[in-house]
Amino acid sequence: MESLAHKEVINLLLQLASMLILARVFAEIAQKFKQPAVVGELLAGIILGPTILGTVNPDFFEYLFQSNPSANIALDGIVQMAVILLLFIAGLEVELHLVWSQGKSAINISLLGLIVPFILGFVFPYFFASFFGFADGERLLFSLFMGTAMSITALPVVVRILMDMNLFKTKMGMVIVASAMVNDIIGWLIFSVILSFMGKSGSLSLINTIGITLLFTVFMLTLGKGLINRVLPWINKNLAWPGGLLSLSMAFCFLAAAFTEWLGIHSIFGAFLLGVALGDSSHLSERAKEIIHQFINNIFAPLFFVSIGLKINFFTNFDFWLVLAVLVISFVGKIVGSGFGALRSGYPKKEALAVGFGMNARGAMEIILGLIALENGLIDEKLFVALVIMAIITSMSSGPLMKWSLKSNKFT
Amino acid sequence: MYKKIGLAIAFSPRIEALIAEAKRLVLLFDAELLLIHIGVKTPELEGKLNEILNNQGLDQSHVTVFWKQGKPVKMLLQTCRDESVDLLVLGALKKEGLLTYYLGSVARKIIRKAPCSVLTLIRPKIEGEGFSKVVINGTQLEVTPKVIELGLDFCKIAGVQQVHILNEIKLYGLQMATAGEGSEEEVANTRRKLVQDEIEYVQQILNGLDKGNLRINIKVTAGKWSIELAKYCEVIQADLLIMGDNKDYSFIDRIFPHELENILENLPTNFLYIK
Repeated sequence: MESLAHKEVINLLLQLASMLILARVFAEIAQKFKQPAVVGELLAGIILGPTILGTVNPDFFEYLFQSNPSANIALDGIVQMAVILLLFIAGLEVELHLVWSQGKSAINISLLGLIVPFILGFVFPYFFASFFGFADGERLLFSLFMGTAMSITALPVVVRILMDMNLFKTKMGMVIVASAMVNDIIGWLIFSVILSFMGKSGSLSLINTIGITLLFTVFMLTLGKGLINRVLPWINKNLAWPGGLLSLSMAFCFLAAAFTEWLGIHSIFGAFLLGVALGDSSHLSERAKEIIHQFINNIFAPLFFVSIGLKINFFTNFDFWLVLAVLVISFVGKIVGSGFGALRSGYPKKEALAVGFGMNARGAMEIILGLIALENGLIDEKLFVALVIMAIITSMSSGPLMKWSLKSNKFT
Repeated sequence: MYKKIGLAIAFSPRIEALIAEAKRLVLLFDAELLLIHIGVKTPELEGKLNEILNNQGLDQSHVTVFWKQGKPVKMLLQTCRDESVDLLVLGALKKEGLLTYYLGSVARKIIRKAPCSVLTLIRPKIEGEGFSKVVINGTQLEVTPKVIELGLDFCKIAGVQQVHILNEIKLYGLQMATAGEGSEEEVANTRRKLVQDEIEYVQQILNGLDKGNLRINIKVTAGKWSIELAKYCEVIQADLLIMGDNKDYSFIDRIFPHELENILENLPTNFLYIK
């Protein structure tokens, strides 16, 4: 096995340290302004990357991030792992029993909140493909990707907003959380189908891909869940706690990820579904969930979000009209779709609007999705920048807009 | 509280214990007893039943026996409706197999569809001593204030000593992970607030109620409430679990188990389902 040279080890460690320190500093600043930490972490990446550091002090930037290809490959491996783990906790956050207990309104809000932005996100890029930066390949695939990228609500951002506003436990809060969960599952199902057509693993036919994706989903949510329910009590009882649970859940996450990658659907989908199955198990204690969340959220997530800024120059790839178009489509699609879903479920106008604003928050998932599309050559850097900015702005505006819409409405 | 108590009988080995338990309830609530058997009435069964009733010292003028034929669940529920039964008592086995889980056992169907409250006894005893440690589900549901009120009424009449009301913090892991973005003090405050909110919720319901001599303990947990309730019942060796729900259940709730299904799948103790 080859290993890194002395210089490369130092370089890798400096990269990791600078990324984590700057991510922490900006996450703290973001929180001081009542913004999600992810916004600060993305900004840290932009500052550390070619956009700011690369322009202000190109030599230092080159020394830190471009002088050792081997160290960069090692860093890329760590970031890849971070993406898989992020999807794993995104799955862990989905609680199916909560979704069922919210019944029809959650289904209404999430489906309409998915379909409307999906249609808008599909139609415009399909008919104005060159404006959206479509280069070559399948236009249908490109438009499907855009539809999906507009549709997934960022659950952790929404939860934080609802907690800050003391709305988490209200009927509206629970229905928003449950809808965001449904949204996650369906969004990732669609995306995994799109993914299998992008780049490396496009050997399966459409029907086969959809079939395998659905089969794997059903398997994980029934037999897989049953298996987890049998294995977890044994792990809890006989192995070190939380050590045994932590290392084995990570191991199974990587196994599931490897399996879906082997199947021809992307590795992140396996990690996500294992997270869903594990999170739904009654034997995974809430304390264990908290620990898993903490160490992924505070170590791996910042590395991933900072790495986004390292890859791309946000200044040279900033296209005002493209950003504006993506923003308008995402805002209108989500707010109208989810808001209308809430209205149909019997919510008064103001609350329905608040539901729409709440569901409008996007975050990590859009960025991961965009990055995979970028790496596979489906979108260009300008569109990727527009998607990251869309995620930042929707996350930042979701809370204030909810507050505004509920201003004259008292909740208990 | 309960004026007409129905008991479903099936001439199983536990029939006498079930009748003895029903008799205790009838005396406590000063109620009328209706015995309901779905099956053919034969002189042999009738003789056996009369013998048990005599053994238990039940005055047969206060007991009405219904012999009905047809589908067990349908006929049992029909009789409860026709006779305006307030509380239906039945025996159930503690654990169900995988097959019966998906097909649905008699007890589960009755609990879901009954027009009245249902008391399911998993360990009926001839020489039973009534209930002493009771757990009431205090999780935040629309029916919870009613369940706590009626549950306490039941406990007072049944001479229960200790009542535990269990409430749970919803999505504790996710909430704490999100709160983890604050300082150590903020995180501790959030944790405290989450627990305090749940205690207050139960306390507010209790404030308006007559608690008699009951000793009440409010307990807060985290996780799926059905699982936590079952665990807690087992830990403190409770002899009765009281809960209620107002949802209509369908087959889909069993594929993706709903909270009630989790409890029914493996009844931790005797179970009173308030409607």
